[in-house]
Amino acid sequence: MAVVLLFAMVIGLLLIGVPIAVSLGLSSILFLLLFGDATLASVAGTLFEAFEGHFTLLAIPFFILASSFMTTGGVARRIIRFSIACVGHLPGGLAIAGVFACMMFAALSGSSPATVVAIGSIVIAGMRQVGYTKEFAAGVICNAGTLGILIPPSIVMVVYAAAVEVSVGRMFLAGVIPGLLAGLMLMVTIYVMAKVKNLPKGEWKGFGEILWASLNASAGLFLIVIILGGIYGGIFTPTEAAAVASVYAFFVATFVYRDMGPLKDEAKPQSLLEFFKMLPKFIGQTVVYFVPSFFHADTRHALFEAGKLTVTLLFVIANALILKHVLTEQQVPQTIANAMLSAGFGPVMFLIVVNVILLIGGQFMEPSGLLVIVAPLVFPIAIELGIDPIHLGIIMVVNMEIGMITPPVGLNLFVTSGVAGMPMMGVVRAALPFLAVLFVFLIMITYIPWISTVLPNAVMGPEIITN
Amino acid sequence: MQTKHSFVDRIEETLIAFLLGSMTLITFANVIARFGFNSNILWALEATVFLFAWLVLLGASYAVKKHSHLGVDAILNMVSPATARVLGLIAAAACLVFSLLMLKGAYDYWAVFADLPPTSGRWFPTGFDMKARSQSFYEVQDVPMIGAFAFLEDLINYGDAYEKLPKVVPYIVLPISMLLLVYRFAQAAVAVLKGETDRLVASHEVEDEIAEVRALQGEHD
Amino acid sequence: AAACDDGEIVVKFSHVTNTDKHPKGIAASLLEKRVNEEMDGKMCMEVFPNSTLYNDNKVLEAMLQGDVQLAAPSLSKFEKFTKQFRLFDLPFMFKDIAAVDAFQASDNGQAMLDSMQRRGLQGLGYWHNGMKQMSANVPLLDPSDANGLKFRVQSSDVLVAQMEAMGGSPQKMAFSEVYGALQQGVVDGQENTWSNIYGKKFFEVQDGVTETNHGILDYLVVTSVDWLDSLPEDVRTQFITIFQEVTHTRNQEAEAVNLAARQSIVDAGGTIRELTPEQRAAWVEAMKPVWEKFTDDVGQDNIDAAQAINAAG
Ligand code: NA
Ligand code: NA
Repeated sequence: MAVVLLFAMVIGLLLIGVPIAVSLGLSSILFLLLFGDATLASVAGTLFEAFEGHFTLLAIPFFILASSFMTTGGVARRIIRFSIACVGHLPGGLAIAGVFACMMFAALSGSSPATVVAIGSIVIAGMRQVGYTKEFAAGVICNAGTLGILIPPSIVMVVYAAAVEVSVGRMFLAGVIPGLLAGLMLMVTIYVMAKVKNLPKGEWKGFGEILWASLNASAGLFLIVIILGGIYGGIFTPTEAAAVASVYAFFVATFVYRDMGPLKDEAKPQSLLEFFKMLPKFIGQTVVYFVPSFFHADTRHALFEAGKLTVTLLFVIANALILKHVLTEQQVPQTIANAMLSAGFGPVMFLIVVNVILLIGGQFMEPSGLLVIVAPLVFPIAIELGIDPIHLGIIMVVNMEIGMITPPVGLNLFVTSGVAGMPMMGVVRAALPFLAVLFVFLIMITYIPWISTVLPNAVMGPEIITN
Repeated sequence: MQTKHSFVDRIEETLIAFLLGSMTLITFANVIARFGFNSNILWALEATVFLFAWLVLLGASYAVKKHSHLGVDAILNMVSPATARVLGLIAAAACLVFSLLMLKGAYDYWAVFADLPPTSGRWFPTGFDMKARSQSFYEVQDVPMIGAFAFLEDLINYGDAYEKLPKVVPYIVLPISMLLLVYRFAQAAVAVLKGETDRLVASHEVEDEIAEVRALQGEHD
Repeated sequence: AAACDDGEIVVKFSHVTNTDKHPKGIAASLLEKRVNEEMDGKMCMEVFPNSTLYNDNKVLEAMLQGDVQLAAPSLSKFEKFTKQFRLFDLPFMFKDIAAVDAFQASDNGQAMLDSMQRRGLQGLGYWHNGMKQMSANVPLLDPSDANGLKFRVQSSDVLVAQMEAMGGSPQKMAFSEVYGALQQGVVDGQENTWSNIYGKKFFEVQDGVTETNHGILDYLVVTSVDWLDSLPEDVRTQFITIFQEVTHTRNQEAEAVNLAARQSIVDAGGTIRELTPEQRAAWVEAMKPVWEKFTDDVGQDNIDAAQAINAAG
């Protein structure tokens, strides 16, 4: 009963405009002081322990930073060019290219809103120029952007792994096939709509364009190789992969693409020949400007923007971990587990309940904070019912994707309305047809575990956390 | 209210950038040490974790100042300005209560590591608890003792040498950050009281979002 | 809390393993069962397994704060309180688990339980996991085989020194990443007991496990001095009696749990390599500098006592 009061307090505070982090933290404190025997000092200890005891969370600021360099660095522009060169000539070509670009950017970035910002701010304007409606463009990007947390790397997966102590590496691998599948489903939907509605298609610019565009994008896309190759090739842990990715992204943005930092006003090569002619000068400038680039205003700015995002996200997660601690101490997970198991819930019914909880929770909460609270509640039951923890994780991620494009709290909605310059409710309506696709996808993910588990099991052996 | 980009803003922003930059470089250096030189920086992981905690805890008060904490403003947008103001005041009071309770907790938690008495009392400090055991001996796991902190050995550790950094050093961020948080929430509460704003959370106005996007794309001062 | 009645003294026991497979988890579950049955109305124990409440680095802080009453971290977690427990991490200090048992029961071993009283902790007793074995992605027979390999270690100066004495490079990482790191080759090897190597399936991703029995992984069950003092005399006596009986029962079984795990590894197709007496002597010799380095910390008298037990047994 007291626990119901606790959740009511969290939601009540949220709704009157208290920041999510404070709603979670204050409710937990008041609950402990009123019903528990813990001291305020122990709450403060738990706040610090959020960082000290969850090494895996460290990957989050690093992936945010890598994404920050990639966004300022104009990598998105090159990815979009490459993607238009590949699929722009199909019916609905620019929209399909937008999805394809979101998928590629998702493989560089751990966050969905960042993917929408990077790709959407260029592609939506481009789509309108060639005759798409604003609503259609916004709906496509808003949905495709959610792949940012499904295609690895993914901040939400890191949070899940930290909350229930499964391997981040397994989670990342598990996202690959679902990510490709979801992207494909969106593209096919657009293709069909394009055929029916006779949407514009671009022109085929030839293989030369594909080659030059892919060369241009390759330095950025090589980040995928660093992250996945580095983790599965035995060079570093997922956290270290994130740190290396941000150092690499900084280097590419500053010295290869020269979109930021001390060399941003220098001439850029327009062809392969020019590139080779300029190479010696490039190398010389890299040596000369190497150390100064660390202290350049652009570098500081990218670090600061990533730091600011880290602060707001992790302050929510840290306070959610306080709430998690309270729930554990009150043995709430066991109580719920026993209730569900004695009610005779099987895996099918259980997964429906999990989906409903997450879909409702996702209407109010920021994904990572919600995950920190819900994952420990349902994880023990899932293990008891023989559900693969990685499969459960992917189900949660897909739910979070849906939460991001449904009101009232939907980070992708806010960001899309920003980049598309249209009111949020307009974006909500625009996103609706594609939201239906994601729902079908959620049902597939929920009841076909193979989609999530085949790749991690093939690469890393069978899951070791079992009943 | 503050001017757009004050001197204090600059300091806070540089500190945020510096902490994140150091975390990245230390972790990167450890990878190079292991992969390139078959060596190690055993304290790298722990030091990075401490910097991470410092970044988020110190940054939390900056985020209050800049109204960038995540929250739900759907209801605030629906109700009348007068109601929004009342809700804003209640929310500000809740934030102040939170930060004040956390400040007491943070001081109490840190004090024993600093050989200081924690406060007594469950909700409010009612005095000092002189019977609490000092934990000034308590060191971190891996980060070695730094010469600059040698004065602590005589000051709080009764002359005993530290091999690793004493916990009093990384944990000091708790009382400092919570004090800053109290200060920033108090400022925010005053702003709501004066009618300068009606909310503490990030407003999701379209203009703000566009500014945010531009900032991310590198336009800055 | 949920299961306890009003008026009962609540004992929160936080540990980091499962409740039914790991030697420590089994012992904790048995203690919980007996306390709750035999001390009903007086005392109530709540066990929090799997690091759900605290991990081993935080639990001692929480205990001094009064937030948890019982914990059982591995002996190397007590470095901050007294350096004496480094004795158990020193490689080849004890020849087998019986020698460990005998030392822990001796005056020296019992005195160590009281060695942290001034810092607020009271040791109640030792719980065995078992002897540690060494594994890597290449065969390890001579200590020089470890030269240049990267080993995952716990945060412990002794274990770092041990790996360095073999020419290995000690590495630190979160335990949840160890399996992946061993499989992908981020690190080359690790050391652990049979039950942990089997339970975490490390043998699957290693060339083989060498039966070195080089060290001991034991847990110290601790409580806070202040809390123990606050218990009524009869409750304290009954609690400690139950604790000691559980300790005795489970420590007898721990060796069997490890031998069963060893057999399971063989059955699952894992490679186990035994050392000849000459090979073992080479390992002992290579580790000598480690002993010298930490003699002052652990006390020469404790080393002598341990060696006397080895010689007698
Ligand atoms: Na991603
Ligand atoms: Na939502």
